[in-house]
Amino acid sequence: MTTKILFKFAEKGINLSPEAYEKINSLEDPLDFSSSLIVKLKSQEFSEKDLMSLNDSIVEEFIKILGLDQSKKTESKSQKGLFTYDKENNKNNQFETNEKDINSNINADYEEKIRVEPNTINSHTKTKISSEIKESRKTANKYKKPDSCKNITLKNEYKKHNNSENITLKPDNSENIALKPDNSENIALKPDNSKNIALKPDNSENIALKPDNSKNIALKPDNSKNIALKPDNSENITLKPDNSENITLKNEYKKSDPDKFKRNLTSHDVDFDFKIIQDTSKKSYTSGEIGNLIAYFKSRYSKISNILSKRPELKAYQKINDIEEGARDLNVIVMVRDIRATKNGHKIVEFEDETGEINVLFHKDNQELFKASEKLVKDEIIGLIAEKKGTLNVATRIINPGVPRIPRKEMDFAAVFTSDIHIGSLTFLEDAFVRFTEWINGDFGSEEQRNIAKDVKYLIVAGDIVDGIGIYPNQDKELAIKDITEQYDEAARLLGNIRGDVKIIITPGNHDASRVAEPQPAVPEKYAKSLYELNNVEFVSNPAVVSLDGWNTLIYHGRGFDDLAMTIKGFSHEKNDLIMEELLNKRHLAPIYGERTPLASELEDHLVIDNIPDIFHTGHVHINTYKHYNGVHMINSGTFQTQTEFQKIYNIVPTCAEVPVLHKGVYKQLKFI
Amino acid sequence: MDYFEGLEKETKELYEIANMARSKGLDAQTETEIPLAKDLAERVEGLVGPEGIAKRIKDLEDDMSREEVAFKIAAEISSQEFDEVGKKQREIDTERERLADQAVRTALAILTEGVVAAPLEGIAKVKIKKNSDNSEYLAVYFAGPIRSAGGTAAALAVLIGDCIKVATNLSNYLPTDSEIERYVEEVELYESEVTNLQYSPKPDEVRLAAKNIPVEVTGEPTDNVEVSHRDLERVETNNIRGGALLAMVEGVIQKSAKVLKYTHTLKLDGWTWLEEYSKEKEGNENSSNQEEISDEEKIKSGKDDAKYIQDIIGGRPVLGYPSEKGGFRLRYGRSRNTGLAAMGVNPATMQLLEFLAVGTQLKIERPGKGNCVVPVDSIEGPLVKLKNGNVVRISTVKEAKAIKGQIAEILFLGDMLVAFGEFLRNNQTLLPSAWCEEWWIEIIKNSPKYNEGDLDLEKLGDFKNKENSYISAKDAFEISKKYDVPLHPNYTYSYNDVSIEDLNSLIKWISKFKNSFIEDEELKLDLSYSKRILEIIGVPHTLEGKENPQVVLNSDDAYSLIHTLTEELAIEDNLKNDSTLNAVNKISAIEIKIKAPIYIGTRVGRPEKSKERLMKPAPHVLFPIGNAGGSRRLVAEASKKGKINIEISRMRCTNCQISSFQSLCPHCGSPTEVGTPSRKNINLSGMLRKASENVNVRRVDEIKGVIGMISESKLPEPLEKGILRAKNEVFTFKDATIRHDSTDLPLTHFIPKEIGVTVEKLKEMGYENDAYGNEIENEKQIVELKVQDVVISNKCGEYLVNVANFMDDLLNKFYSMDKFYNVNLKEDLIGHLIVGLAPHTSAGVLGRIVGFTNALACYAHPYFHSAKRRNCDSDEDSIMLLLDALINFSKSYLPRTRGGSMDAPLVLSSRIDPEEIDDESHNIDVMEKLSLDFFNKTQEFIKPSDALDLVDNVSMHLGTQAQYENLMFSHHTSNIHAGPNICLYKTLPSMKEKVESQIELAEKIRAVDQRGVVEGVLSSHFLPDIMGNARAFSKQKVRCTTCNSKYRRMPLSGKCKCGANLILSVPKGSVVKYLEISRDLVARYPITHYLTQRLEIQEFGIDSLFESDKSKQSSLDVFL
Repeated sequence: MTTKILFKFAEKGINLSPEAYEKINSLEDPLDFSSSLIVKLKSQEFSEKDLMSLNDSIVEEFIKILGLDQSKKTESKSQKGLFTYDKENNKNNQFETNEKDINSNINADYEEKIRVEPNTINSHTKTKISSEIKESRKTANKYKKPDSCKNITLKNEYKKHNNSENITLKPDNSENIALKPDNSENIALKPDNSKNIALKPDNSENIALKPDNSKNIALKPDNSKNIALKPDNSENITLKPDNSENITLKNEYKKSDPDKFKRNLTSHDVDFDFKIIQDTSKKSYTSGEIGNLIAYFKSRYSKISNILSKRPELKAYQKINDIEEGARDLNVIVMVRDIRATKNGHKIVEFEDETGEINVLFHKDNQELFKASEKLVKDEIIGLIAEKKGTLNVATRIINPGVPRIPRKEMDFAAVFTSDIHIGSLTFLEDAFVRFTEWINGDFGSEEQRNIAKDVKYLIVAGDIVDGIGIYPNQDKELAIKDITEQYDEAARLLGNIRGDVKIIITPGNHDASRVAEPQPAVPEKYAKSLYELNNVEFVSNPAVVSLDGWNTLIYHGRGFDDLAMTIKGFSHEKNDLIMEELLNKRHLAPIYGERTPLASELEDHLVIDNIPDIFHTGHVHINTYKHYNGVHMINSGTFQTQTEFQKIYNIVPTCAEVPVLHKGVYKQLKFI
Repeated sequence: MDYFEGLEKETKELYEIANMARSKGLDAQTETEIPLAKDLAERVEGLVGPEGIAKRIKDLEDDMSREEVAFKIAAEISSQEFDEVGKKQREIDTERERLADQAVRTALAILTEGVVAAPLEGIAKVKIKKNSDNSEYLAVYFAGPIRSAGGTAAALAVLIGDCIKVATNLSNYLPTDSEIERYVEEVELYESEVTNLQYSPKPDEVRLAAKNIPVEVTGEPTDNVEVSHRDLERVETNNIRGGALLAMVEGVIQKSAKVLKYTHTLKLDGWTWLEEYSKEKEGNENSSNQEEISDEEKIKSGKDDAKYIQDIIGGRPVLGYPSEKGGFRLRYGRSRNTGLAAMGVNPATMQLLEFLAVGTQLKIERPGKGNCVVPVDSIEGPLVKLKNGNVVRISTVKEAKAIKGQIAEILFLGDMLVAFGEFLRNNQTLLPSAWCEEWWIEIIKNSPKYNEGDLDLEKLGDFKNKENSYISAKDAFEISKKYDVPLHPNYTYSYNDVSIEDLNSLIKWISKFKNSFIEDEELKLDLSYSKRILEIIGVPHTLEGKENPQVVLNSDDAYSLIHTLTEELAIEDNLKNDSTLNAVNKISAIEIKIKAPIYIGTRVGRPEKSKERLMKPAPHVLFPIGNAGGSRRLVAEASKKGKINIEISRMRCTNCQISSFQSLCPHCGSPTEVGTPSRKNINLSGMLRKASENVNVRRVDEIKGVIGMISESKLPEPLEKGILRAKNEVFTFKDATIRHDSTDLPLTHFIPKEIGVTVEKLKEMGYENDAYGNEIENEKQIVELKVQDVVISNKCGEYLVNVANFMDDLLNKFYSMDKFYNVNLKEDLIGHLIVGLAPHTSAGVLGRIVGFTNALACYAHPYFHSAKRRNCDSDEDSIMLLLDALINFSKSYLPRTRGGSMDAPLVLSSRIDPEEIDDESHNIDVMEKLSLDFFNKTQEFIKPSDALDLVDNVSMHLGTQAQYENLMFSHHTSNIHAGPNICLYKTLPSMKEKVESQIELAEKIRAVDQRGVVEGVLSSHFLPDIMGNARAFSKQKVRCTTCNSKYRRMPLSGKCKCGANLILSVPKGSVVKYLEISRDLVARYPITHYLTQRLEIQEFGIDSLFESDKSKQSSLDVFL
C-alpha cells in the first residue's frame, strides 16, 4: 500500500511530505482518497510549488472537505463524474477486490439518478464540487457494505454512462485535465474488456470538451453476470444482448427480419450542402514511369514548401546549393533522406532539396530540439534552421508545417463516423451494426440517443466497409462471404436500412476492392453496384476531402499509421490520436516512403494536407480516439469487427461497435455492444 | 600403400608445386594459404586456432566425448593465466575478452566438426560486461551465420559461454525487464518482418529463456528493422539481432531437451528451468501420441495434412496428392545411388513425366520434406492408359519414349525406393512396405515347407534381368499353395484401391466370360464400364476390335484374376479401409497381400544443376577498374582511358620501400608488406601491356575485372591471371578460385563403363576388386566407390579441363614452371585431385576424380557429402581443382563483410573419418537384402529406432575398417544416369509453357487433381507474386545504371549524384509478368470465384498504376 500511494502521487509529479503521507495512510481507504486528492490538486488552485512537497495542511483540509473526519453521511447525490475519476485512479484496488458487481450497481444507480434529476446535475458549480467529491466518496464506500445496499435498486436501464458531470470541474480548460490515465495501461490491467471501455479515459476527456452539458452516452450492457434486469421501468430503454449468458433480457432488441431492410431507392428532398472537395478517383495520371516518381516527390516538396515558406522564420529560406561557403546560418526547407544515430548518441539527419543534400547534426544536449527530432521521419519536409560549426551543420530549430488554430464553427446537425466494418468477415459484429443502423433511424436507444439520431445527416465510412478477399493468406477461411460483390451487396443491404435522408460517404481502405497504393481510387461500381444504386451513397477516394454543410472533412483510412507507430518512439496503434496530430503537423498523411504503405507515383501528391480540415477522420487501427487539436476534431472511428487473430498476437484490443458522433459540434460516442 | 596415404602423398606433391609457385613472390603471400588438416583436431586449429590446440584436442579425445572435449578446451583457454604485470586494467580486460572469444570459437569449432563457418562468422565477439550490481558477466555476440552451425550447436555455443563464465569466475547475466521484453519483441518482429523461425515460441517461452540464460545472448544487427524497446544501455543496436535470436530460439528453446541433457553430462548448474520447455513439449507430445493412433488410421485412410502441397509453384508439377492412390508406392531398400535423402524412381517414370531428371528435387509427403530423384530400374515402373484404351506397364526408358504422345492417363507412378535410413533420419514412424518380390522371396525362404534348393530364388529375385525373374501365374499359384505363402506380387493387384461393390462389378463381368478362358491363352471380354476397375487395380490389358471392342487380358493376368476372384464378395463392414482386401481374402484360396499400402504424395521442387560458378557480372580477374570498363567491366576498355582512379592497396618492400603488388619485391627480392588501401591513379594501360607481354598473350580485349575490391586489404590480383583465365574461358570467384557447382548425389558403387573409366586406370588408382571380392577384369563389374572419389558431371569435367589448361598456362607462363596437368580430354582428369566445398562452410574436402556422369550432378560417396555437411535433398556445392585452390586462393581477397569467409577453403581436410563427419551419414543402410522380420515390422507403425536390430547401417561399423568397405545395397540399378538428364522445367522457354506442361501433367496423373493444381498455382504462386510485386512497385528503390548507386527513394533532384538518370528497381514487367498467364488460366479452367475475383481486383489496381486515366479517357473519346 505504502509504495502504491507514493507512486500514485509521484506519477503525477506530486511529492508528499512525510506528515501528509502519514495523514493519508491513516485513512480508511488511502488509495481512494489519494485519487480524489489528486484530482483536486491537479486543478488550477495549486501551483507547481505547492505540489513539490505537499504539506499536511492541504491534506487535512481536503479530509475535512470530504467529511471523512465526521460521521458518514448516508445520503448522497449522484456524482458520477468524480466517481468515474475515482475509478480511474482506483482501478487497481477495485479489481484486486473484485468488486465488479458493486461497480455496476453504482453505475446503474447513478444512471437512475441522473435521469431523475437532470437539473441538479446541470446546475453544479465549481464551488459545489468539493462536497460532491465527499458525497461521492461516501457513496462508493457505502456500496462496499452489503447491508447498506438496500437502497440500491438495480435499474434495468443499465446503460453505462460516461458521465458528463466531470466537465463542471473545468469547463474552460478541457485539454489540461491532469488525470489522463494511460489507455494501454488500462487495458493491461483490466480483466474485463467491456468494463474497461466503460471507464475509458477518452470519454472523460471528451466530456470535458463539452460546456453544454450534453452527455456522452454509451449503450452498453454490463457484463457482470449477476445483474438482474427489471423490465418494469424500461419504456425508453432498449437492451441489447451481450455475451454473458445468464442475463435474461426482457426488453430485448429484436433483430429485424432481413427482408424488411428498406432499400432507400427513393430520393429525399433533404437540403444537403454536400461538396466533394478532393477526390482522386479516376484522376490517376501515373503510368508507372520513372518520371512519375520524380514528379511525385517534387510535388510533395513544392506543396509543403509553399506552406512552410509562408512562415516568417522561413521567408528568406535558401536552396542548399546556394548556401555560401562562409555562411554561418542555414535557413532551408528540406526533405529528410536518412536519419542515423551517432556513436555518442547524437543524431545525424541527411536532408535534401532539389539542388543538393546536407547533413545536419542534432545534438543530444539540446534536449528540446533533440526531442523534436525524435519525431522526424524519412521523407517528410520541414523547415530547418541550423548553424555552421566548422564543417559541421548543427541544427537549432525544426519548423513543422504545423496547424494554425482554426476558428470555431457552428454546426446544426450530427455526423456519424465509422470505418473498419469488415462486412463479410466471420468476426463482423452484425448484431451491433444493425443496432447502429436502427439507432440512426430512431428505432433504437434512449431518448437522448434518439434525439441525437434525429440530427444525423451524414454517415462517413472511412474504409474497410467490407473484409475483402485475398488481403492476407488464407483469408478465405475467416470469411463468411467469399465473394467481393456479395460482400458489398451485404453492405448495401445493411446500409440500405438507413433512412434515405442520411448521406453516406464511403472511402476505400486496404481491405476494399481498390488498388493497394495510396491514393486509392473509390471502390469501382463493378463490385459495389448495389451500394452505388442507393441514392444516398457517395463513393470517394482515400484520402478525400468533403464538405458536410460547410464542415470540411478530411477522410483517410490510416494505412500510414502503421509506419508511424513503428517509427516514432512513444507512438502506437492505441495512441493513434498522437499519430493524427503528428500527421497534421507534418501536413502529410503517409510521409514515409518505401516501408509499409505503398504510395502511387501520382503526378501530384494527394496525401499532402493542403488545407487544415475541420474534421480529420481516420480508421484502420480499430481503436477509437478523439482529440480536439487546434480546433480540428480528430476522430478515429474504431471498428465493427471483434479482435482478429492478428490483433490477438499483438495484444491489440479493439474498441468494437463504438461509434463517434459529432453532434452540433460536440463529440459523443455511442456503443452498440 | 593404402588409399588415404596415397591421396595424402599426392596432395603433398601438389602442395610442393603450389609453394614453389608461391615462392616466386608474385602473389599475396609466399606460401599457399590453405593449411592441410588430417583430422578434426587439425581442422579446428587451421580454422580458428589457437596454435597447438590440435595436440591438446587429440590428447583429450582419448577418453572424452566430443562435447566434453569442447567444453574442457573452452574452460582451459578462457582461464589461461597471462602476465598481468605492468598492464593497465584496460589491457587486462581486453586480454580476458580475447581469451574468452578464442575459447568460444575453438569449442564451437570442435562441436561443428571444424567444417562450418559458424565459429568464425557466427560469433561476432565476446565481451565481459557489467550488471547493475557491478558484477561482471559474459556477453556472447552472435551474428547471422550462426545459422550454419545448426540449432544444437548454436545452443551449445551458449552453454560454452556458461562454461567460460564458471571457469573465469564471472557472475550470471542479470537482464533488466526492458532487456527481456526486448527479446520478446525482437522474436515477434523477426517473424513478422524478416522470416519465420523453425520454431515460433510463445512470448512467455522467450521470457523464460531471456530471464534465465546465464550469459547475455546478444549480437550484431542483422536486419534493418528497428525495435520499439530502444536505446537500452547494454544493447548496442536498435535493430533486430538475428544471430542472437537464432541462438536463443532455434538453439536454446527449440533444442531445450538436448541442451538439458548436455548440462547434466557437463555438470553445469542453473539450467533446470529448461525443464519447463520439455514439460510443455511433453504435453504436446502426449496429445500427439494420441494422435498417432489416429495417425495410423490417417495413413490408411490416405488423408494427411501435408506441407509439401501447401505451396504449388508455377512450372513445378504436383505428381501426387497426399497419400492419393496412384502416386508413388513406398518401397523399402537402398540402391547404390540412393540414401542420404536421395530416393530411387524407375527411370521409365522419369522419362514419362519429363519433369524428373537425375538429381531433380522432389518435395515429398514423407519421410522428411524433400529428396533428390535418382534412377533405379529394379523397382516397378509406371502403369499408363493409352489413348487407344490399352493399359500397359512401362519398365524401361525405351518403352516410355515409345508411348510418348499416346498417354491418356498415368494410373500409377511406380515405386519410390526409400531407404530405412531416411525414416531413421527423420524419426518418421515406419510405414507398411509395398508387397514386392524381395519380400515374397523372404517369405518362401522362411516357410517351414520350403527346403533350400527347391526353387531358384536367386533367379526369381534377379531384377537385373526381368526375363530371369519371370514366373507364370500358374507357377505362382502353385508355389503359393505348395509353400503356403501369399501370392506373387506380380499377380497381386491393388484390390484395396476400389470398393467391394466396384470389385464385384468386375467379378460379375469376368465371370461372364470365365468359361471361355483357356489356359495359356488370352481372355477376351466384351467392353464394359468395369474396364475402369481393371485400370484402377492395375491389370494391364488391351482393347481390340473397332466394331465390337473387346478388352483383352493376357493369359497370366486372366489366370490370376479368375483364380483369385472366384466368387462375388460379401458386402460387409464396408467402412473399414482394408475391407476390400479382407473380402478378397475370404474368397481366395491363397493369401492376397495389400499391394500398395502407402502412396507418397510429391511435387517437383528445384531442378538439378551443374554449372560453373559465375559472379554477376563474371570477372576473369579480381582487379578493380571502377566504372571505367563500362557495364561489361572490360579491363581493355578501362585501359583505353589511360590512368584510372581506383581504391587499392599495394605491397611495400621492407627493404627498398618500392611499391608493387607482389609478396617479394620485384626490385630487390625482399619481402614486402601490405599497405593501407587508398585511392590511387594507376596506369592501367601500361600494366595491361606489361602483363600481356609477361604471359605472351596478345588478345586481351575480353578480360573482365571488377568495379572495386570488397576485401579488407583491397589488394588486387595480378592481371596476368585474368589474361590467362580469359584465354582459357574460365571465370574467378570472389576468393580467386575457379568453381563448378553441382547438385549432390550419393554413390556407393559404380560400374566402370557407366562412368567412363577403364580397368587399367582403376587399377592405377588403387582399385583391385569388385563389390563381390572378384578381381576387376572388365568394365561391367560393380565396384565399390572409395570414399573420397567423385564422379563429376561431363559439364564439370569439360570446365575443369579448361581450368587445368589455365593452371598449366599459369605455371608455365607466369611462374615459369613446368606444366602439371597436360590434359586435352576430360578423361585425362581421372585420378586428379579436387576440393569439394559447400556454402556456409569454410573447410574444403579433398577428393579425386574417378569418372563422369551425364547427369547434371556430382555423384560422390555419402561420406564425402557429409564431410561437407551436405545431404542429397537438392543441396549443391562446388568443386575446384586442388592446384588452383592452393595457388590462387588468398584470404586477402575475401570480402570484409560478415559472412565473407564462408564458402572459402580456409582449411583442407585430407582424410574422411566417418566418425568426424555429420552423423546423417551414419544412417546409410548397408544391407544386401531386407529381412522378413523387417518387412513384418513395417506393418506395425513403430518408431524406426525400434527396428534398428533388424537393419545394418554405417553407425554399426564406425571405428572399424568396415566403415569404409562392404557398404552394400539391396536394389540394383543398371545405370546411374538413366532417364532424362535435364528436367523439362529447364528446357521450356517460358513460364507459360512450363505451367501448360504442369497442368497437362496434372490432368494425366490419376493421383493429382488438376483443378487443385491450377488453383494452387494461382493462389500460392501467381497471385502472391502479383500482389507482392504491385506492392513492391509502389515502395521501390531507384538505381543508377551508370554507377550502380541505389536510392531508397527518388532524390528530389531526379538524378543520380553522378549526374546520370535513374531507373526503377522494380520494373513494370515484374509486376505484370504473371498477369496474362493467370488471366488465361482463369479463363480456361473452372477456378473458384474467389480466385477469379482476387485476380480481377489485382488487375484493377495494376491498371490504375500503369495506365493514366487521361489516356483511358482519350481512348474512350475516340469511340464516343
